[in-house]
Amino acid sequence: MKRKELQHLYWRAGFGSNSKSLKTLPKSREQVVENLFKSSKSSTPLQIDMSFMDGISNESLKNNPKFAQELRVKSRKKVVELNYAWVNQLVQPKELLREKMTLFWANHFVCKDNNVVYAQKFNNTLRAHALGDFRTFVKAISKEAAMLKYLNGKQNRKAKPNENFARELMELFTLGEGQYSETDIKESARAFTGYNHNFNGDFRFRKRQHDEGLKTFLGKTGNFSGDDIVDIILEDRQCALYISKKIYRYFVNPEPNKKHIEAMADVFFKDYNIEKLMRYIFMSDWFYQEENIGAKIKSPIEFLVGMVNVVPVKFEKEKDLLKIQKLLGQTLLDPPNVAGWKINKAWIDANTIMVRLKLPSVLLNNAMISLKEEGDFNDNFRKKFFKRNKGKLPFKVLPDWDTFSENFKFAKTENLEDYIIQGPVNKGTLDYLETLNKGSKRDYCVQLMSLPEYQMC
Amino acid sequence: MERRKFLKNSALASGLFFVPSFVKALESVATERLGYKRLVIIQLAGGNDGLNTIIPYNNDIYYNSRPRLAITKDIIKLNDNLGFHPSLAPLRSLFDKGELSVINNVGYPNPVRSHFRSMDIWQTASGSDEYLQSGWLGRYLDRHGKKPYNAIEMDEQLSLAMKGEHFNGIATSDYKVLYRSAKDPYFKNVINHYNDAHLSEHNLGYLYQTMIEAKSSANYIYDNTKVKLSQQEYPQNKFAKQLKNVAQFINSDLDTKVFYTSLGGFDTHANQNNKQSRLLSQYAESVSAFVKDLKRDKTFEDTLILTFSEFGRRLKQNAANGTDHGAANNVFVIGKNLKKAGFYNNLGSLNDLDDNGDLKYTIDFRSIYATILSQWMDVSAEDIIPAKQKLLDFI
Repeated sequence: MKRKELQHLYWRAGFGSNSKSLKTLPKSREQVVENLFKSSKSSTPLQIDMSFMDGISNESLKNNPKFAQELRVKSRKKVVELNYAWVNQLVQPKELLREKMTLFWANHFVCKDNNVVYAQKFNNTLRAHALGDFRTFVKAISKEAAMLKYLNGKQNRKAKPNENFARELMELFTLGEGQYSETDIKESARAFTGYNHNFNGDFRFRKRQHDEGLKTFLGKTGNFSGDDIVDIILEDRQCALYISKKIYRYFVNPEPNKKHIEAMADVFFKDYNIEKLMRYIFMSDWFYQEENIGAKIKSPIEFLVGMVNVVPVKFEKEKDLLKIQKLLGQTLLDPPNVAGWKINKAWIDANTIMVRLKLPSVLLNNAMISLKEEGDFNDNFRKKFFKRNKGKLPFKVLPDWDTFSENFKFAKTENLEDYIIQGPVNKGTLDYLETLNKGSKRDYCVQLMSLPEYQMC
Repeated sequence: MERRKFLKNSALASGLFFVPSFVKALESVATERLGYKRLVIIQLAGGNDGLNTIIPYNNDIYYNSRPRLAITKDIIKLNDNLGFHPSLAPLRSLFDKGELSVINNVGYPNPVRSHFRSMDIWQTASGSDEYLQSGWLGRYLDRHGKKPYNAIEMDEQLSLAMKGEHFNGIATSDYKVLYRSAKDPYFKNVINHYNDAHLSEHNLGYLYQTMIEAKSSANYIYDNTKVKLSQQEYPQNKFAKQLKNVAQFINSDLDTKVFYTSLGGFDTHANQNNKQSRLLSQYAESVSAFVKDLKRDKTFEDTLILTFSEFGRRLKQNAANGTDHGAANNVFVIGKNLKKAGFYNNLGSLNDLDDNGDLKYTIDFRSIYATILSQWMDVSAEDIIPAKQKLLDFI
C-alpha cells in the first residue's frame, strides 16, 4: 500500500496516523485491513466511577424527592465525566476501528440521557455491537433504558400507544423517510407496547401493558412483537441500502456514489453483518480512489482527536475539553436532536471556521502562528510574545512536542504537509507555503494545521 | 517594535498586496440594505415562572396553590386582576406609555416539559412531534440574509434559532476578540494567495469561502461599530453587557436585522423567590437601560424586543419552595407604536388546567413569530414558519 492510501485508511477507520506508526504497518492491503479488524475483536467498555449510586434504590428516592433532585444534579455532572472518559478513549483506543464505529453509531442511533448509568450503558451497547450483527443491534437498542426514555418507549402502552420510537425506528434508524405509511407506524408502535426498564436500566417487559392483538405491518399480519417488527423491516433491502448509504457518506465520501452504495447494500443485505460490510469497503479499490481521499470535512471530534494525535496535549482543566467541544459544535453525549448532527459542510459556519483555524495555534503555540519569513520571529520576540499572551489564553494546556518529534522523525520538515494534510492543497496556498521558512518543524506543523485544508480528511 | 506594527511591516516585506478580485467581491459590503426594522430576542433560559412574573393578585386559586411562594407584597398592580412582580418596576413606565405588550398563555399543543426539547421547539418553530434542524431566524436568513452579520448572537456559540438550512448568523460575545483572531496576518496571507474562482462548489472551496466571509464579517462589525461611549448607564452584569453591545451595534447602524441575547438561571425548582427576584431585576433594569439608550439615539422606533422562555412553571408550588416545569407562559413584546399594548389577552383560567396541572395555551407561539415576520420584518412567514398561523394584531 502507498503511504497516501494508508493515511486515508487510518483517517477513515481511525483518527489519522503518523510517520512512525505508518512504518510499522505491513505492506499488503489485506494484511493491514486484517490487522484493523483483529485489533478490534475485543471491546473495552467505558467505565466511570458510579459509586455515588451505591445502595440507592427506587424506593429510597420515592420517599425523598429532595434527595432525588440532588441525585439528578449529581448524575448530570457525571455525564460530563463520561464525556471526558469517552474523549480519552478516542484519543487512546485499544480498539481503534471499534471506537470509530461507535462514534458513527452514536450519530445514527441518536440518544441522550441525563441519567449517567443509562447513558453509559447505552454507549457501551453501541460499542459492543459496533462491528456485529445489525439485527441484534437494532433489537438491543430498542430495549435500552436511555432509548426507552428518549423516544417515549416506556410511555407506550396498550391503552395509550406512543408512536415516537416506532416512527424514528423506521425514519432514522432503518429505512429512511417515505418508505412506510402512517398506518405502519401506528401498527408497529402497538408491537412495542409494554417495553420498559427497571431502576438499574435493565430491560423489563410489562406483559399487561403489551398489545397482544393482530397487527398489520408492511403488508404482513400477525401478533407481532417488537423483535418481529425489526425482523420484518430488515427483510426489506431498502434497510441495507439506507444503512450502506449512511456508512458510505461517513466513511468514504459525503457525495454518494450510487454504484458503490448498491454494491455495499448487496453485501450487507446477505446477513446484515457490519464487520463484513466494513471489510468490503476497506478492501475495495474504489475506496482508495483519488476522489475519496481528503474528501470529507472532519467532524469536530475527528478534528480534535486527530490534532492531539499529532501533538499530544494535556488539559490542565478538564472543563476546557467540554468548552472546546461546544465551541466546535459537537458535544459528545449531547446531540442536538434525534436526527443527530448533520455532517460535512454543516459543521462549518463563520463561527466554527474561525475556532478551527485558531485552535491549533491556541492549544499548541500560545495562539501564535509564525509567519517565518527570514528573521521574522527570533527567539527574543517569541519570548516577549508568549509573555504578553500569558494568562490571556482561553485554555490551559501543555503540548507534548517531544512525542511529536519522535512520531514524525521519519517526515522531513519540508514534506510535513504530506503527513498533516490529507487532500489536495489549493494552488495559491501551496505557493504561499513555499515562501515559508521551514526552519522549525513545530512552527510548520502549526501553520499547516491552521489551514482550511486541515479541516479535510 | 509593537507586534502589530511588526507584523504589518513583515506583510509589506513579503509584497503581498495583491488581493484577488473575487475576495474583494466577497468582502464588499452589500449596498442593498435589508431595511431598518430590527428584532431583538431575549431568551429567559430555564423556564421562567410566568405566574410570579405577571401575578393574578386577585385570584384565590393562585394563593391557595402557592402557600409559601405566592407574591403578596409590593405587587405593581396594572389592572384589576394582574400585576407585575416587584422586580419589574423599571418596566412600569414602558407599560404605561403603551410600549409593552404582555401576551398571556403562549404555548403549543402537547407541550414538552424537557428544557432542551422545548427550547428546540421554540427555536425551530416546530410542533412538539416534529424535529427541525434549522431555526426560525436561520430560515429567515436563508431567504433574506446576505451576510453572517445580518444576525448576531451575543454569545460564543450560535443557538439553533440562528442556524438556517444554508446560512447561519454569527455569534460573538466580544466583537473585538473576533476581529483580532480573524485578522491574524497568517490568515490574511493565506486568503490573499488563494486562487480558485469556483468557491463553494466543493468542500474545500466552501471552507475558504466561509473563512473569507467570517473575516469580512468580523471586519465589518469592527469597522462600523462606533466606539463612542454610550451615555446610558447599564447595570453591572453579563446580560446587561449583551444589551449594551446590541445598543452599540444598533446605534452604529450596522446592517443587522436580528440580535439574540439570553439570560439563564430560571429553573427554580427550589427556593424560588430570591432567585427569581434577582433575575427579574437584572432583566428589567437591563431592558429599561437598553430602551433608554435606543430612545436617546432615536432607534427605538425601529426596534422590536421579544422576550420568551421555553415554558412556564406549574401553578402548584412544590415541597422545596420552588416550582416544577410547566407549560403555557407569557411573552413580552416591547416597541413603539404597538397596536395593542398592555395586556394583549386575559390570563387563562386557573380552574381549567391540563392533566399536569399546568396552564393551557390559547396562543400558539408560532403565530407570534409569523406576526413579527410579516407585520414587522415585512417578509412572508409562509416558508419560514412551517405550520400556517393566524396573524395576531399586537403590531
